[in-house]
Amino acid sequence: MMKTRQQQPCLKKVKQPGKVVDLRERVPFTQEVEIFDRNNLKKPEPPVAGAFKERTTGGTSFKKFYERGDFPIALEHDTKGNKIAWKVEIEKLDYHHYLPLFFDGLCETSHPYEFFARQGVHDMLEHGGSKILPVIPQLIIPIKNALNTRNHKVLCTTLKVLQHLVVSADMVGEALVPYYRQILPVMNIFINKNLNSGDGIDYSQQKRENVGDLIHETLEAFERCGGEDAFINIKYMVPTYESCMLN
Amino acid sequence: MAKVETMPTASPKSMSRPTQWNEEVEEAYRFQLAGYRDEIEYKQVRKTDHVDRWPHNGFIKKLIRRDGCFYYYDRTRECPDKQINKTKLYAY
Repeated sequence: MMKTRQQQPCLKKVKQPGKVVDLRERVPFTQEVEIFDRNNLKKPEPPVAGAFKERTTGGTSFKKFYERGDFPIALEHDTKGNKIAWKVEIEKLDYHHYLPLFFDGLCETSHPYEFFARQGVHDMLEHGGSKILPVIPQLIIPIKNALNTRNHKVLCTTLKVLQHLVVSADMVGEALVPYYRQILPVMNIFINKNLNSGDGIDYSQQKRENVGDLIHETLEAFERCGGEDAFINIKYMVPTYESCMLN
Repeated sequence: MAKVETMPTASPKSMSRPTQWNEEVEEAYRFQLAGYRDEIEYKQVRKTDHVDRWPHNGFIKKLIRRDGCFYYYDRTRECPDKQINKTKLYAY
């Protein structure tokens, strides 16, 4: 008791039966509430979980390879910057090596990495045909990393890429079903991220940058291309999703 | 790397600018993006008779630029609205 009385001037220290707790120390939140309660202090707010918070990734290997000049693409900085000039034919590329690398670049947000990754993935999916299916398992980690950044632009790009991926070749949609556990949790977090603008104009709709809408489109594409097991697996990870084919 | 054009080319007699999109415009847009006037010039420069096309609609699929790099095109329309009147349609 004597010890407690001596330390009373220090506001940061509060008493608990039997011991003195310094609030600067990390204590579990429930215990902290209890301490404040006993000392008639205002109860603290619960800490922020940060589910929607953007997360940073370390440097991607795409950036490293690009700067080293390892990609068979010609680097151009002209005004019509919507195409990649490939130095070799895409048909002759090793998809097991290059496709995961380009997917890795989806995490990038700065020019030119973001453009080359997005356009490279687009070209390879458009012209890959049967070479895409065997690479699917190697694409999951880059996709998961990109979605986990929770960055608005990265999310939009990745969702559009996923929509393209499932229609890029036969059986790709089915091949993705076992990996829903890796891909869908982030979609479940952001599925309701939709702007309620009343009767105002939501320009993100026209630009296809509305994350909630993009997630719905992506899940529908997954269901259409994923075969008969797709719906139940989506529903397991995203409980609010309703089938676009059964109803 | 760049190939110098040495063959005599058939020069076009006139040029018009389209106001609406159609398949002809799309074709011209794709060739002009790769740096050629049209299919005739492409075949003359590349000394080939073959142009890669998408089987389902006949749109250009792949072109080789003058510097030897490859341009790949989508299976659907690529020419944006604002590029329509910048495309040139040549007549011989």
